[in-house]
Amino acid sequence: MLSCVNLSKKYDKILFNELNINLEKGEILAIIGPSGCGKTTLLRCICGLEELDSGKILLNGDDITKIPAEERGIGLLFQKPVLYPHLSVSGNLSLASHSNHEKALVEVGLPNFEDRDVDTLSGGEGQRVALARALLANPNVLLLDEPFSALDLDMSIKLINDVRALL
Amino acid sequence: MTNFQRFFGILAVFIYTAITIIPIVFAIDRLVFVSGINPMLWIQSLDQNFVSQNSIAFTFVQAFFSTILTVLIGFPVAWVLGRYSWPFKPFLRSILTLPFVIPAIIAAMGFLTITGPYGLDVRTDESTWWWTLIFSHAWFNIALIIRFCEPVLSTLNPNFEEQLLLLPNGVTFLSRLKNLWIPILTPAIAAASCMTFVFSFTSFALVKWITVRDKTLESTMAEVSSSAGIQGYMESSSDIVLGASLIQFLVLLASLWLMSFLQLRRQTKWHQASELFVQNKNTKGWLVLAPAIFFVQLPITSVILGSFRIRDANENSNSFKWSTEGWSEAFQGSYSFPPLSDALFNSLIYSFGTLIIALPLGYILASTIHKLEENNSNLSRILEMYTMLPFALSAAMIGLGVMLGIIKFNPSAAYDFRFLPVLAHVIITVPFVVRIILPALRSFDLSYDENAKVLGMSNFSRFFKIKLPLMKGSILVATVFTLAMSLGEFGASFIVARNSEWITLPLLIDSLRGKPMKDPLTVPSSNAVATVLMLITIILFLIVEKFRNTKDRGMF
Amino acid sequence: MNFSNLSMLVIACLILFPSFSGCISEDRSDNELVILTYDVNALSDSMISKFENNTGLEVKMIKVEDSGSILSYLIQNKGSGNVDLAIGLDNTYLPTAIELDLLEEVSIVKDSISGMNSSSEMQALGPYDGNLATPFDMGYICLNYDSSIVDGLNFTIPTSLWNLTEPEWKGKVALPSPITSSPGRGFMLATLDYFDWQNNGEDFSNWWTAMKDNDVIITSGWSEAYETHYTGGYGEFTEGYIGDAHITVSYCHSPGVESWYNGNWTKSASLDIDNTAFFQVEYASAIKGGNSGNAEKFIQYLISSEVNSQMPVENLMYSVLEGQKLPEENGYRFNSIIPSNPADIDNVDIGKNMEIWLEEWNEAMIKSD
Repeated sequence: MLSCVNLSKKYDKILFNELNINLEKGEILAIIGPSGCGKTTLLRCICGLEELDSGKILLNGDDITKIPAEERGIGLLFQKPVLYPHLSVSGNLSLASHSNHEKALVEVGLPNFEDRDVDTLSGGEGQRVALARALLANPNVLLLDEPFSALDLDMSIKLINDVRALL
Repeated sequence: MTNFQRFFGILAVFIYTAITIIPIVFAIDRLVFVSGINPMLWIQSLDQNFVSQNSIAFTFVQAFFSTILTVLIGFPVAWVLGRYSWPFKPFLRSILTLPFVIPAIIAAMGFLTITGPYGLDVRTDESTWWWTLIFSHAWFNIALIIRFCEPVLSTLNPNFEEQLLLLPNGVTFLSRLKNLWIPILTPAIAAASCMTFVFSFTSFALVKWITVRDKTLESTMAEVSSSAGIQGYMESSSDIVLGASLIQFLVLLASLWLMSFLQLRRQTKWHQASELFVQNKNTKGWLVLAPAIFFVQLPITSVILGSFRIRDANENSNSFKWSTEGWSEAFQGSYSFPPLSDALFNSLIYSFGTLIIALPLGYILASTIHKLEENNSNLSRILEMYTMLPFALSAAMIGLGVMLGIIKFNPSAAYDFRFLPVLAHVIITVPFVVRIILPALRSFDLSYDENAKVLGMSNFSRFFKIKLPLMKGSILVATVFTLAMSLGEFGASFIVARNSEWITLPLLIDSLRGKPMKDPLTVPSSNAVATVLMLITIILFLIVEKFRNTKDRGMF
Repeated sequence: MNFSNLSMLVIACLILFPSFSGCISEDRSDNELVILTYDVNALSDSMISKFENNTGLEVKMIKVEDSGSILSYLIQNKGSGNVDLAIGLDNTYLPTAIELDLLEEVSIVKDSISGMNSSSEMQALGPYDGNLATPFDMGYICLNYDSSIVDGLNFTIPTSLWNLTEPEWKGKVALPSPITSSPGRGFMLATLDYFDWQNNGEDFSNWWTAMKDNDVIITSGWSEAYETHYTGGYGEFTEGYIGDAHITVSYCHSPGVESWYNGNWTKSASLDIDNTAFFQVEYASAIKGGNSGNAEKFIQYLISSEVNSQMPVENLMYSVLEGQKLPEENGYRFNSIIPSNPADIDNVDIGKNMEIWLEEWNEAMIKSD
């Protein structure tokens, strides 16, 4: 369903050259590498926040390489959760969808968090709200950029399991 | 707080009160003695006198439209400057915010030249005067919009915008506007608009020269100031002054309150990134920046050029020649007009005099407020508001306050006390010193001081060897700012400098320009003096820019 | 508080206080003459240098905006003694100044000044001949019009002040304010006589209100009206010229001045309607509390034949000396008129009623239709 053909990008050094990725519906792909090797950049290129030097991206057969990020239907969960401080939890979720907030929050283990102020959330709670929002958006492809690296080991393991279950 | 600090704190408050509050109280007392206590009468008198008719309406309306125009022009500039990378960005920023420090009287001369016979030649049509005024106010105040909004934009973590692009309800520009840009920029724009409104509301020099027959409350007050406070003679002047001051005071107080409310809200919860993250270039942005830069430099260049351009008086025509006669006229002076050197000397003496009082006074007040914050936050806030009071007074009010107040105290001092203008300048600058030093004190890392204590250093040596050097930047900013404000001050000086021996550069510019136009050297000589003042101001401004702390989101 | 802190405090006081106390009382030297004036052309640099050289006195000038400001300044400063001589109060401001006891008597030899028995067309000592003020120039204030436009065809030449309230004159009349300008004040006094204030108080107010409704341009001073707005004068060659008024207040000899400057040609003319011209005399007065001896010397100089005979040329006003006439060159004398029937208001009445009249004028001007 998602097909990346010969993606190439370099900054001072080559990050990836003629990289190919193919993902079928329901597949989970993990990209592993040492820090600074270009994982984040790859994700940002796929969702359209950065431009490739060369290569094509096809989604369900359509070439989306030149389409702006907001029109691709690909979601991204940032390494540090991007929560909008002037909106409550529910307000943040509304950016994805105006309905089903309760269900989404329950799924990530944060029932009744709708009216909470995002300032008051802990690191793990924040990331879970961001995850709930990302899922609510119902993207074709969801990219997660080391989403749990800022959390402690126990929390990480729990969330990884949660995500797997959700997906 | 040690006894030493407590003593100096109390002394500072006492001196501040004596210098600021007491003259104003005396002045009001004298005016009320003539007019009686009748606020309704005072305000009504503004409409009951030909000299001040329509000034209330005019003041509000022009301030309002000036604010709108300022935001309309300034915001695109701030947007483009803040969002994209530019070569020599700090330099661009400096140029675009330069107008704010140029004395208003110089801006007035510049705009008169631009709209006059050698420029657009529209001054013969009175309907253009309104627009000239509004644009001149915008010229000044776009710096505020830029100063307040640009840092918000340039230090915003880009992830906020990026995340929104990837969510269904952030796809359209309008939705991003609603969910990101408006929430994040509204406090900054609102705060800058407030200040723009205040500056336009109390505008004097520009109104005096550009919209000759329409007056603001400030210019009305300045005009009737010479006949105010005299019992049995032109008592309407006292009514007018009290009415205008009252309205101004209320409006300024309301704006001050609104500003501090917005400042609190601005305490940002948005994650910052440093400016080191890579911003994109945007060559289309030059479509905004280039005209803005042109607009900004136009009055400045006009004044400089205008000092060399002399109308040819031999032929009754509009031809002109280029020469330095205006400069020599300004330098020589005459019996009627002191030479440029005298005015320069006075201006420098006054500004240094202001500095040696306002800087230590402001510093001690800021320090006292800061010390009190640790234990006694209510008292600290009261003191902070107290030091902000002069902000709620316009320049004319301060000038009038000083003059009438001193007359009550010692009648001949108004004409004998050569340093009277310094008093007015100190009142105006002390709040600025506090506003600059206080945030610096607040962000000063305590561990430096604590470490020094533990190493056994005394109060005295800690102050001079640790604190002062680390505060160097903000002290320099406060110093230069005080000097610049005093040098360019016009409104209060206009009222206070009764003796032509006390003339300052801004007053000389005004006097020279007021000479009959028959003399072809009228305009060039006043432009020459304006150029000198402008160059000094620009040099001071550039010094400050080097040391400006961009992390501090305040005015300065 | 330890010793070093205390010593700092003491040193600070020692530095600051003397530098201020020394400036509080400035003793004026006896060799100084401080003149308070507005922009009087006669007081040229060369004229003053000559005086300084002859007498050894040092002249300092305090300049204010206009004659009204001179009076305000004197009142604000009363008793301070820092002004010796005021030049520029005229016969409309003088009564107030005398009443408020601002002036000092001097003994000036006035034999050469045209007085009651003079054969001159204008008598400088007419309005006032006491020792508190000495006349140094004079003239008739009246309306001037641009004869190239107001030629009877495009604009009818007014024969009555009421003509100026008609639609064709809307926004085309520029008058200086009586509050701040002495010609403006003189003209206002003339209108009081024109409208017969003693018997009929209403017409005066009604006319001014009608003028306001007819968009009359009120300026703070004579020069703004004459240079910036009036089309008949030299204003069109100056920066800042607007040129929207064809009638303004100036002097009956202003067309003569124009002609003299233009080489015997002028389009400006005086309007000689009965009771619209006002005789103005400008005075030099010693101020109470100042150095009247030095003031006297300057006043004597000002009315000396050498200086005062030059008034028409240096100051563009009539000399007050007996037997002096305007120069003939370039049509100066030819184009200047003496009004046939000037306004007649008693000085005593001016002194009594000035404040009231100004208030009435103000009331008339704030009224809107």
